[in-house]
Formats: sequence, structure tokens, C-alpha cells
Amino acid sequence: MGEVEKTFISGLREKLVEDRVIDESQLEPDFAKEIVKHGGKDVMTCLQCGNCTGVCPISLKIDYKTRSIIKFCQFGLKKFTLETRWVCATCYRCYEHCPADINPAEVMIALRHIAIKEGVIPPFIKMAASNLLKYGQSVKPDPEIERVRRELELVDMPSRDKEYAKVVREINLLVRSTGYDKLIGIESEVKT
Amino acid sequence: MSSPEPLEERAPEGPKTPPAKDSMTPRIGVFVCHCGSNIAGTVDVSKVREAAEKVPGVVVAKENKYTCSDLGQEEIIKAVKENDVNRVVVAACSPRMHEPTFRSCIQEAGLNPYMLQMVNVREQCSWVHSKEKDRATEKAVDLVRMGIAKAEKLVPLEAREVPVEQSSLVIGGGVAGIQAALDLAQMGFKVFVVESEPSIGGRMAQLDKTFPTGDCAICILAPKMVELARHPNITLLSYSEVEDVSGFIGNYSVKVRRKARYVVEDKCVGCGVCADACPVKVDNKFDMGFGKRKAIYVPFPQAVPLKYTIDKDNCIHFKTGKCKACLKACANEAIDHEMEDEMVELKVGTIICATGFDIYVPMKRGVYKYWEYQNVITGLELERLLNASGPTGGHLIRPSDGESPKRVAFIQCVGSRNKKIGNDYCSRVCCMYSMKNAQIIKEHEPDTEIAVYYNDIRAFGKGFEELYHRVREEYGIEFIRGRPAKLSEDSETNSITIRAEETLLNKITEREFDLIVLSTGLQPSEGSKRIGKILSLSLSPDGFFQEAHPKLRPVDTAVDGIYLAGCAQGPKDIPDSVAQAKAAAASAASIMAGKKVKIEPLTASINEELCIGCGLCVEMCPYGAPEIVETDNGTKAKVVEALCHGCGTCVAACPQKAITANQFTDEQIASEIVSALGGMEGTNGKARKPAKKAEEA
Amino acid sequence: MSQYAYFFGCIIPNRYPGIEYAVRWVCGSDGFNLDVEDIKEFSCCPVPGIFYSSDKNTWLLLAARNLTLAQNERREILTVCNGCLTSLLKATEYLTDPKNLGKVNRVLSQIGRKYTGIPRKTEGRRRIMEPVKVRHYVDLMINDVGLESIAEHAKRPLKNIRAAVHYGCHYLRPTENQTIDDPNDPVNIDKIVETCGATSVEYEDRLDCCGAGGGVRSHVVDLANSLTEDKCRNIADAGADCIVTGCPFCLLQFDNAQKSFTKEGIPVMHVSQFQALAMGIDPISLGFDTHHVSAHSFLRKLRGT
Repeated sequence: MGEVEKTFISGLREKLVEDRVIDESQLEPDFAKEIVKHGGKDVMTCLQCGNCTGVCPISLKIDYKTRSIIKFCQFGLKKFTLETRWVCATCYRCYEHCPADINPAEVMIALRHIAIKEGVIPPFIKMAASNLLKYGQSVKPDPEIERVRRELELVDMPSRDKEYAKVVREINLLVRSTGYDKLIGIESEVKT
Repeated sequence: MSSPEPLEERAPEGPKTPPAKDSMTPRIGVFVCHCGSNIAGTVDVSKVREAAEKVPGVVVAKENKYTCSDLGQEEIIKAVKENDVNRVVVAACSPRMHEPTFRSCIQEAGLNPYMLQMVNVREQCSWVHSKEKDRATEKAVDLVRMGIAKAEKLVPLEAREVPVEQSSLVIGGGVAGIQAALDLAQMGFKVFVVESEPSIGGRMAQLDKTFPTGDCAICILAPKMVELARHPNITLLSYSEVEDVSGFIGNYSVKVRRKARYVVEDKCVGCGVCADACPVKVDNKFDMGFGKRKAIYVPFPQAVPLKYTIDKDNCIHFKTGKCKACLKACANEAIDHEMEDEMVELKVGTIICATGFDIYVPMKRGVYKYWEYQNVITGLELERLLNASGPTGGHLIRPSDGESPKRVAFIQCVGSRNKKIGNDYCSRVCCMYSMKNAQIIKEHEPDTEIAVYYNDIRAFGKGFEELYHRVREEYGIEFIRGRPAKLSEDSETNSITIRAEETLLNKITEREFDLIVLSTGLQPSEGSKRIGKILSLSLSPDGFFQEAHPKLRPVDTAVDGIYLAGCAQGPKDIPDSVAQAKAAAASAASIMAGKKVKIEPLTASINEELCIGCGLCVEMCPYGAPEIVETDNGTKAKVVEALCHGCGTCVAACPQKAITANQFTDEQIASEIVSALGGMEGTNGKARKPAKKAEEA
Repeated sequence: MSQYAYFFGCIIPNRYPGIEYAVRWVCGSDGFNLDVEDIKEFSCCPVPGIFYSSDKNTWLLLAARNLTLAQNERREILTVCNGCLTSLLKATEYLTDPKNLGKVNRVLSQIGRKYTGIPRKTEGRRRIMEPVKVRHYVDLMINDVGLESIAEHAKRPLKNIRAAVHYGCHYLRPTENQTIDDPNDPVNIDKIVETCGATSVEYEDRLDCCGAGGGVRSHVVDLANSLTEDKCRNIADAGADCIVTGCPFCLLQFDNAQKSFTKEGIPVMHVSQFQALAMGIDPISLGFDTHHVSAHSFLRKLRGT
């Protein structure tokens, strides 16, 4: 028998393997309910069979176990899931194999929502959201690519079009309506 | 000088229940039950009683702690006699349980048993409104008032009795079917056993040893099979299918197709010369495809009946018409290639459905690679490979190279406890058969390493937990908690690596094995769906047949006179199957021993004058009760009472309003409704006020 | 009825214009001549790894806005990206819940829009609505165009090419939304590749993730690349000349990640680019020069030199 060899990604291990001494003050009894509120299924019905860990591509690489995350959720160990939730590739393999039909991937997404509310916001979220607010797309236009587009005689990017300003206005309005700009801290970039 | 009272009760001559007494002006007795605190904890029973007392027509109203107790029943009898009551309202629980109790109670008091109206103030009131006591009381008063209104309109009914055929049909010849048939035959009833395979024995005949004791399966089953074949009261119809069932409890008629086996059963002595001569070799289904058999065959040496059968699909004669090797070889002239299917008609009083289970078949391209890797086999395939009369003579081999495997892994819960594939249930036998097989492998080859990948071990039966400890401690079998995520094959050695999270170690591991056994679960057999339709049995969510009550009527079905035995009702081990078979036999016998069966009079009846013979009722009825008959007054519908369940579908459908459901007549229901709306129609118009008062008080 | 509306998303126009060219070419008059139009007002789908993961309300609003555009034109959305597919498809499902629909429409009304779905038929005076259809390019090719037609148009079969097909997670899963293909044994892209005359090679763990999804690439790029490395090793072991995928984000990951662990790299292309090649397009137009992994080796083999 051999344990699967892992490539530890620099810095990440330390973040994930935090000080894991648990006392009761760290437990949030209604954490499972909070997850349900954010669109996850009831983690309390998990059988802890470990199938999700086995099929998870990320679990094979780093010290991260889908089953353990679900276990932390059952305990109410919110703190332990703060960083780990952003490494899920949402490949939904765990969902396909889960005999208890928990859909761990959606639980991870619910955890992300909770993390955002707690203020743990990875920079790429802000970046993509600002791109969307500026260009109507979450990828920033690249002048070099736009040159290629012209070479290929493709239509110009709509964002170059003056009429597209209306679209950007609409998007800004929608984003403001849910308070998303404030939620992730990019309110200064929203146009009115 | 015994007590004179009972004598007096037996005395009346002619009809037991004088009709005159029933149809007189309504004199109603109301009995409200506390049901301990079940009702009284929420509903103010005294207020309900007081309200009932004030309703015109009510001559006596009482409350009891437990109306269904002997004491409560005696009180009803006493009150009926003392007050000359002719209609009884009992406000208590659901009629499902105690309606029969109170019917016989008022019959004892001298009333027609159908002059009873039950009002459900428990399930439909106190239990669901436990948080709103005042309003629950108000509702109970209303419900009782409605019951009283209906009771006024009740008419006496008489139950009919029909004779019961003294024979039984057992569908399926596995261990459950065999046991049920033997028990019934022993009690003196005639039994027909229909088995679709050429031999009885079922799945148990395929097993090697049984858990937890390690008895050889066929060694304990074969004597029963032989006893069944020899029993003078049992007719065995092997290689046959039930095609159609009609009739009702006590009087079922059954059509059975005897499939042509192309061998005359009376002439075949089972010598096997024909099989020696047969040139065709095909996979043996009985050995799960591992061994070979001929196109003329008995599935296994201990088969009962020991009669050969020609497998038409593989026989050269049926394909090209060129071979008659078996015909030439048989000295008894038993072979008949011209044989045709034969229909047999049977008359039986009861039916026992023991159609068994199929093994779950792992999906194609699934995680466990059953269809891709040769060295992944199922639990039942392992049974055949371990069986001394199996294809390898009991020597365990790897299918890929015939070598003896040194590292074996069992994977539990394949096809069970998995919501993703819709099999939510536990198959109940896989944990134990894996341990038993692991033990046998260790006994054959002590140097084999065995690991069992499991989620939870379910060792719940007698001697099961002990086996679990024995295989762990004495046989050194490793139990790994975790559900394997990936199997990959080494293309050279055909060994298989399992990747799984070992949840107790919190580690993802990869281990290599020579042979993987999938502990596949049980699912309803393919044939049982067809039988279920023929018998109009309902299925529970897991796909197995639904019993009438999960606790109190575990072998009955919703159809009177049809009983369940064995895995047809749900996954079971052998002792449970046998126990259920015995229970089913006893239930069937209790009907047949009575010689006659009572048919409830709560059926539909047709007013011939109004009926136009349109046949809509025949179309609508789920039980096939109405039929169209020619009478002197033209084409009319007629209800076969024994088939009618009194569901009322035809009543609602009839365009002529020619059909009446007894005890649910339009008049009776209308009076209930009127009363519920506060009595717009005279008789109990004042009833609303006392109810209001009860609430205010 | 008019048919489809292009939905290219963000990555294709801004990073891989060659894919856009290929799709337009294959669907246009040089190819199958389908009825597809541009809807200029489309925005980001929005990307599930960012918006669905951070705030479902915002995600649903932005997706619903895109859906109303297609709804007003009575067109099916033709996505070329697995991410757009899963995001928009999930949104149509969310919007079948009246509660979500009401909430979304209250906000959309501020920008003068309303999501209703497309009327399918009328029953009496009642119109039966169905959700806006969201289709994947591969789904369209297999079910609307058909393999026969693809074979007819493949004038220059890519006979000596061995392609490794990568489906991408959101083409297959979650199975409750995706019904285009068998999630355990997908075949559609393989069929297209084979119909184009090439060989689709079997390689180990072909259904595994590319590593990029769910924000992993943006969050911990080393981790994403390490997953891609495994995948590429298996693909190289199978002796493939190129990787063919239905998803531009997977393509981007394969294209960018390979330089972190190998010099040469296996060229990667979208299934539409692959198809266009078989249909005789000039490879110059496929914009391979915007790809990081050079397609030279592949194009040489294609020419047979």
C-alpha cells in the first residue's frame, strides 16, 4: 500500500493546515443551516464514505479532503473552511459519485458565498467584476488580440461600439441593485 | 347451572339482528374516546360530549378513557341496551384499526354491525392540531356533528359469505416458495408451484455456503426441493409462467403457460445421455457465465425436477434443422422437438407471491469497471467460483489468467444505499456474504490477503456480529472504511489498483489487488414486474412489492388472498425469507381453513331501472368488478360484489346516477355536508349554536 | 422560426479570435449555412466560477438579462464555451421557479426588460412558455447538423491526425442539467473528430478536469497547472498530435499551463477549429499565432511533410 504522493504547492499547505486544536468556542452550531440557506444541501446527511475525496482532482494534489471539509461543516468549524473553499475546481465529480446525493460541489459554492460575506474575497473576483463593469465582459480586452481580429476581418469587439455604453450602464445598474459592488468592495467603480 | 346470560344471547331465532329495531326513528348513542392523552390532551372531550348530547336524535353520549378496551366496549353495549339505541357514533381514532372492533361490539349489543359511524378525532384532529386546543375542540365538535348527521341516514347491511377453494398457488420456487408450499401441503391443502426456470431452488441453489454458520447451501436446500417434488399435495409446474389471474379471494382462476421444454417430463429419467451427445456448448447462466453447459441441459446436478430441457435459442436443430443428436441418444424416446407451449388453468383460493430478486448489475463505464476489467466480479459470481459443484470445482481463480489470487478486495454497497442510482435501501445481505466468502477464501488459501472496503458494517442478525469479529480477529481480514473512487488495471498483470480515501486514517491510498469482488446488492427480479401487474400488486418506493402494513401485516398485500414471501417484498437473508414464507403459508391457510370468507357489503350496487348499460363503470373500475349483462330489460351493468372494493370510482363516473356505494350514499354524504355547513336543512339546524357555546365557555 | 444567436462569451473574442472565426466560418455560407445572428448587447454569461460562486442573485440577474435578449429575438443561444453553457442553462432552470422569476423581473423592469421564456404553443387563451434554449456548439453539430452532413463537408479529411479529446467538466456535469451526452462515456466530440477523418485516441483519465475551473486557475495557478500536467502526460503517452476540446477555458488552461512544465507542448484547439480544418479552411485564418503552444508540428503533419 502506498499513500498517493502529493505535490505541495508552496505556501498553500501552511494556510490549509492551520492550528487545528478545537475548542467549543470555535464551533458554530448552525453552520449546516447557514450552508442550506446559501444553496447547499444538508451536510448532516453525509455518510462520510470518502468517495468525494477519492474522485476529487484537488484532493490528490494538496492537503485538502472534500470529505474533511464536509466534516468540518458538520462540526460547525467555519474557520477551517475559509481558505480551502477557493481551491475547488467545481468539476462536479464528487456530485456524480456521492451516494448520499449531497452535491459537495454546491456545498463548496455555498461556502464561498459565506466566505464573501465574511470578507474573505480573493483578488481575482474583484478583478473580474471590475472588468465586467467596465467592458461588459470579465476578460479585459487585449490590443494585440484586437489587431488580430482586424486581420481576420472579424467584427470589432462590441465594447468598442458607442452603443455598447448602454449595455454597460444596464450591467452597472443590475450589479448595484443587489449590492454586489459593496459586497466585494468595488463600489467606487460602479457608474451611475 | 352456568350463567344464564349467554344463553339468552344465543337464543334469538331467525335473523340475528332484528331489522325493525334499526330502522325505527333514530336513537343515537355517541361515544367519545380520550385515547389516553392522545385525544384528551388536545381536545376538550367533555365539551365534545356535551355538544353531542344536545344534538336532536342523540339519546345518550358518553366519554371513555379507552373506548376500544373491554371496559369501553362493555359500556357501549350497556348504553345501547339501556337506552334502546339503534345507531352508534364512536369518535376516536382512524376506522382502519378499530372499525371492525366496534362493529362486532354493537353486533353483540344486538344491532346490525353496519349501524356504526366512526369519527376520526385523533389523526384528523388532535394529532394535527396539537398547538391549537380551542380550535381543535371546535373541529372535533363539528366532526362529531357530521358523524351524527350521517348516522341518522345509516341503513342495515348484511355481509355475504363465499366458499373458499381449498388450494393455493405459489409463484416462484426459491427457498421462500418451497417453504410456503411445503407448509401448506403439510396442512392438507393442495398447492401448485409455478417456477419459470427448468428447476426450482432459486438463488439459494447458486450459493456456496450460508452465513453466519457456514452450512452448505445446496446441502440444506436439496432435501426440501426433493420433498416438494414428492409431496402428494404439491403439483410442481417448472419451466412455466403465470399468464393471467382473475377472480377474487377464495376463487382465483389462474392461467399458466407451460413452456415447451422439448423433453417429455414423464419419459425423461435424467440420465444425461442426451447432453453427452449434444454438440453445442454455451455459457451456463446458473454459473453466472463462468462454466459451460450443453444446449440440452439441467442447470445443476441437484436440479428438481431432474428433467432435461432444450435451450431453443442455441439448439442446432431449431436453427438449421440438421441435428438430432439428442433424439438419437435418448433410449426412452423422451425428446420431442415438435412440442408446443401448453396452457393450464388452475382454480385456487389463495396466492403466495415469492418471485425473489435479481442481483444488481453494475453500470457500463462506471467507476467499478465491471464490464471493462475481467478481474472485477460480483458477489454471486464469486459464490459460483467458490462452489464445489461450480465451474472450477470450488477452486478460486482470477478470470483473466486462471491463477489463484493472492490479494482480494471486496467493495461493499455496490448498487445499494446509493441515492444517485435510485437504490436508497440497504440490501441487508452484502456485508455478511462478503465476510462469509472472505472466510472461505482464507480457509482455502490461508496466505491470501483480503481487504473489505466498506461504509458501515451491518451485522444485525443472530450470530452476525460474532462472524464479523471472527473474520477480523481469527482470519486477519482487513476492513477499510472508505468508498473506492477509482479502479485502474495494470495492462500486463491484469492486477487492479484501488484508489480510495481511507476515512479512518484520513489518507488517500492506492492498493493493488489480484481480484476485486463487488458486493452487489439485491433488486426486484425482472419477472416480478410482470407478475405484479397480473396480480395488481402495488410497489413500495424501492421497487419491491408493498406489504399491506409494514409492521402488523408484513406478509399480506392490499389484494385480499394474496400474500408475499421472501425477497419479492424486500431484501432478506435466508432465515428471514423462510420465516416470512411460513407466515405467508399460515395466513393463506387461515383463510382456507375457514372454508368460507366474508365479503364486506360496502360495495357498489346498481339501480337497474336507471342503468342504460353504457359500460363506463366497466371502463373506470380498477378492480374489474362491474360487468355488462343482458337482462330481460335490456343491457345492464352488474357488480360482482366479491371484486368490488367500494372505492366509489364508478359512482362518480355514472352519467345516470344509477350506482350507489353502500354506506356512502349521496343522501348520507349530503347530510354530513349540510351538517358541516351549519345545518341548512332542518333536522339539526340548531347544532351550530351549542358548538359555538362550547368554544366560548 | 429563426434559429440561433451566437454567444461567444469573454475568452474567445478577447483571447482566441481564431475560434470565433472558425465558428462563424463553419456555421456560415462556407460551411453549413445555418441561420445564426449576432446579438450585440450580450454581456458576460456571467462566468460561474466568479459570480455564481460569490453571489447567486447578481449571477442570476446578469444571466437573465442575456436570456431576455435571445428571448426577444426568439432565438436559441448557441454557446461555444462550457462555462457559458452551464451558467445560462442553470439560470433557465432557476427561472422556472416563480419566486426567482418574480424577484429577477422586478429588477429587470428597471432596465426595461422582462424574462418570460419563449411561447411554445397556445392552449385556448393561455400561452404555454418554455425556457430559452441554450445549446452547446457540439450539441448543435451532432443533433441539428448531423454527422452525415459533417462528413459531406469534410472535404479535406485529417487522415493522419491523432487527436486527444478533452470534454471539459461542465459539458458533462452536473448531470441534472446536462443531457447532451453520457456523462460516464461521452462520445459526441469523438464522433465529430472521427467524422473529420482523424483518429480519436483513448487516454487514461480522459474525463478528468483540466485544472482551471471554479477559480482555481485564478486563485492558485500552480495547483491548476499541476492538474494540467497530469492530463498532458497521459495525452502525450497516448501519442496524440493535438488536444481537441469544446471549451475555450480548458483550451486556455492547456495552452498557458504547458509552458510551465514542458518546452514543446501539445497544440490545443477548439473542436470548431478542428472541424474547419477538415472542411478546407486556410489554417492562417484560425489564429493559431495567438496560441502559446505552437501549432507548427501539427500543421506540418497535416500537410504530410
